Amino acid sequence: MSNNLISVNNLKKSFGGLKAVDVQELSFKKGELTSIIGPNGAGKTTFFDLISGFQSADSGEVSLKGKNISSTQPYKIARMGMVRTFQLTKVFDRMTVIENLLFSGSNINNDSFLKSFLKLNSQKLYESNLKEKANQIMNDLNIGHMADSYARELSGGQKKLLELARSIINEPEILLLDEPLAGVNPKLAEDILSLITKLSDTGITILMVEHNIEAVMKISERIVVLAEGSLIADGVPNEIRTDTNVIEAYLGKADE
Amino acid sequence: MTSAKISFRLIFSLFVTAFSIYLVFLLNPDGAPRILLNLFTFAGIYGLSAIGLNVHFGWTGLLNFGHASFMGVGAYVTLLLMPHAAGREGEVTTTGLPFFAALILGIGAAALFGLLLGLPAIRLRGDYLAIVTIAAAEIFRLLVRDLESITGGVYGIINYTENFQKYRPLFIDNFSENLGFSPSQAWVCLAAWVSIFITVLLLKRLSDSPWGRALRAVREDEDAVRAMGKNAVWLKLQSFMLGAGIAGLSGVLLAFNYGSLETTVFIPLLTFYVWAIMILGGVGTITGPIFGSIIFWVIISETDRLAYLLFENANGQQLAGVRFLLVGVLIMFLMIFRPSGLLGKKEELLLDVK
Ligand SMILES: Nc1ncnc2c1ncn2[C@@H]1O[C@H](COP(=O)(O)OP(=O)(O)OP(=O)(O)O)[C@@H](O)[C@H]1O
Ligand SMILES: [Mg+2]
Repeated sequence: MSNNLISVNNLKKSFGGLKAVDVQELSFKKGELTSIIGPNGAGKTTFFDLISGFQSADSGEVSLKGKNISSTQPYKIARMGMVRTFQLTKVFDRMTVIENLLFSGSNINNDSFLKSFLKLNSQKLYESNLKEKANQIMNDLNIGHMADSYARELSGGQKKLLELARSIINEPEILLLDEPLAGVNPKLAEDILSLITKLSDTGITILMVEHNIEAVMKISERIVVLAEGSLIADGVPNEIRTDTNVIEAYLGKADE
Repeated sequence: MTSAKISFRLIFSLFVTAFSIYLVFLLNPDGAPRILLNLFTFAGIYGLSAIGLNVHFGWTGLLNFGHASFMGVGAYVTLLLMPHAAGREGEVTTTGLPFFAALILGIGAAALFGLLLGLPAIRLRGDYLAIVTIAAAEIFRLLVRDLESITGGVYGIINYTENFQKYRPLFIDNFSENLGFSPSQAWVCLAAWVSIFITVLLLKRLSDSPWGRALRAVREDEDAVRAMGKNAVWLKLQSFMLGAGIAGLSGVLLAFNYGSLETTVFIPLLTFYVWAIMILGGVGTITGPIFGSIIFWVIISETDRLAYLLFENANGQQLAGVRFLLVGVLIMFLMIFRPSGLLGKKEELLLDVK
């Protein structure tokens, strides 16, 4: 457990009679870039919900940095350095792109009622630094020209970018990305992939759920495969590519 | 470009407001000043309340349908802390706090009530919150009615206005005499508009601050707020307290305008009037409800005269029917013409009325 950042033990979640997640044991090391793959309905998003606190498990335990977080509130988990994105993008529609980023990047002290009422100089300084950081990130992700547009005016792919930008502005230690490439054009997908690799190189631990298998194979250091809630394979990309269980359940016969 | 848009909205709102005031003069060739004073007093008090509601709904997306109870808590706590007379026998309480101390405690009590109501309710999804707040407001009103030994029950509270009127400056009396005003109402009216001014300054300060931004994020998507490490529940509770405090202040003013306080003042209709004013003025704006409130009260107070002009031989009951018909038609017309309210931004339209 020493260098395991996240560990999961006997984690179970059912909806009615349906077993959505049933994972015996799974852990992720610091700095690892892991992809979680599996058929539709395999329980990947539910797994994210469970470890980020958005749903509570029926039984089992999740620990983050050695601390049991099974019944910790989502915002507290996020403050511990684990930030997630959503499969169905959640941006703040009627706020501008830059406001989306400023809100997300601002720490909770800066947001406080009292500070905002007093309008201290320290807050102004903090905000202007934050603005600089937000501009930098927007430019890196090619949404700089949309800074003052309302987020709801963005295209689906741009919203994905905004969500990604929002989740990295606070420099999280762990990033959970739920289908960051869905609905993004190939060129942009390249950019996002290289960003993810770059983030991983800086030491951030990344878990990514993604159906784009080519991309997954290319950038992952490790791949975890779920099917019907259970772990069916876990290994480096080359092992997964040839694993008969995985081929049967997810990849299909690759004869080309 | 945006500033040009804002000034257009502002000019339009000013124009509509000025036109409705002109209508008052037109429909009341004699006695217009007195009617206007009454109208502006109510408009100020209700407008203030709607500004508070806008913090809840416009800024934070909270569906609060119990606003009248916040006004009620503010009013009852303030009045009961001052010298007053309550109940059937008019039991006189001669001791009490001075007006300003009682007012501050009353506003605080309204904010606290907001917190208490919010604690269990605020984790509910929007539409459930609406139901809970309606119910809580009615429970508050019935409790106040039944606690006759303290609140005067159905007999209400009287003999409290002097606590506030004794601060009335002399110029109000001189000025009122010339115009045929009631000086005590003129004093309440002035207090209401000063309160609006201060509240607007406060909210302007908060609205473009990081705190205001956080409330708007809660309005847009609570889950995303949580995912960013922010405590959405606490933000909602803070919003609830601020809006409830503003409502509490407006409730106190309402009590001083009436001169006697009964529980029937705080029926759900009051909440719905405040909602109508907020929507007319522009959801999510700060000053919109002020215009919304003036126009609303012109419509409310002048439609019976309009109805009378249209149907000269009708009796009172028939006129009342026509009047409410006209109120509905006028509000509908305004909403079709400006669905986001007088000052609201189309991009931030919160009510999909189309
Ligand atoms: N809130 C819910 N209520 C009932 N069933 C649910 C709920 N959420 C998920 N499920 C079920 O749990 C199973 C796992 O769903 P989940 O969203 O985790 O799948 P997934 O692996 O993310 O799929 P996809 O690749 O399509 O996103 C599915 O069978 C789904 O129908
Ligand atoms: Mg999913």
